[in-house]
Amino acid sequence: MRALAAAATGLALALALVFAITAMGSPAGGTSPKPLLTTVPAHP
Amino acid sequence: MRRRSSLILLALAVFFAALSPLVRWYAFPRLAKIPANQYQDMVLEAKDATLLDYGTMRAKKVPKVTIVQTLKGNVEASEEIEKTAGRDVVVWDGLSYVQGPDGEMVSRIPERYVFDAHTQEPVHVKGEMVDGDPVKRTGIEFKWPFLTEKRDYEYFDAQARVTAPIHYKGTQDFRGIEVYYFEQTIPWTKVPFPKTMPVQGITPESVARTGTTRWYSTVRKFWVEPLTGAPVYGEEIHKEELRGGTLLGGRSKVTAFAGHVKMREDYIRSTVDLVESNRALVLLMTSYLPWGFLALGVLLLSLSLYLEARGRGPGEPEPTETAAPQSVSA
Repeated sequence: MRALAAAATGLALALALVFAITAMGSPAGGTSPKPLLTTVPAHP
Repeated sequence: MRRRSSLILLALAVFFAALSPLVRWYAFPRLAKIPANQYQDMVLEAKDATLLDYGTMRAKKVPKVTIVQTLKGNVEASEEIEKTAGRDVVVWDGLSYVQGPDGEMVSRIPERYVFDAHTQEPVHVKGEMVDGDPVKRTGIEFKWPFLTEKRDYEYFDAQARVTAPIHYKGTQDFRGIEVYYFEQTIPWTKVPFPKTMPVQGITPESVARTGTTRWYSTVRKFWVEPLTGAPVYGEEIHKEELRGGTLLGGRSKVTAFAGHVKMREDYIRSTVDLVESNRALVLLMTSYLPWGFLALGVLLLSLSLYLEARGRGPGEPEPTETAAPQSVSA
């Protein structure tokens, strides 16, 4: 019974961690202030 | 004490073993996406190209034609679309700016490409366009989906405003990276004149009145890193002709542009470096972490079972819960 509880705890923690990370996602940030280029850049 | 340790190890074993498929099949498809704020520029060159001289209306050989391509993620527009689309969306405002050997503008084609940040599937909204013309893309453009497959894809051609297959032609090694080679041929197709013409005073409408039409053909080649779906190199054998009408002075056609367009060397190196670092991240999510977690889970489970076995000893019965002493009344 204790083994079952330990396994269930491990599974619950794994699910919680993955759900939390995916729910957070990544911040979108802002649109770059750099323009659409009409000159040839010297380098990347 | 050993019993307690083995239970903790068992919990950790299940934790890591469960993380393995969760990271690969649940987290990766949700976390792998094109950032909405991406900004990228690219320089391509066609050396010894043929270009139309609009002064004489004759084709001439030029040492170099340069194409500057910029893609800029419009975060505000993508957030607005996401409110109704219900999924992560990327809006790329792009500009293909073509410059002749003298630095003068040959053409400039703006476009807006809206697509799903995870799958690259086009999202159809108002504002999607090529050179001001509303379009409804199907297929991919610029980039392949994550975990690109060895198969043909549908690729949108912005010049002709059509989608056509781009064929998988094999796996190659490009500067130490395994890439999938794709090739698309667009046969001679009548295409619109650019809204911005290289000569002041000439507009697409004024050219159309002369009866002259613009035709285009290309062979498009991409070398795509399959994990990220990012092209590390691209080439195009691009031809444009003006045909018919009074503008050509009795000739049936004249070459407007012909050249073998290739990425500039410094941009190839920069792209390869960028793709290699992104490739490492995808590998982490799809291979290193899932397999590492699985191995760790198995190891911890083995350790847990070993401790459990040692705790019991040979022939020792499984320990049972000690019953609480019952109070006995005198």
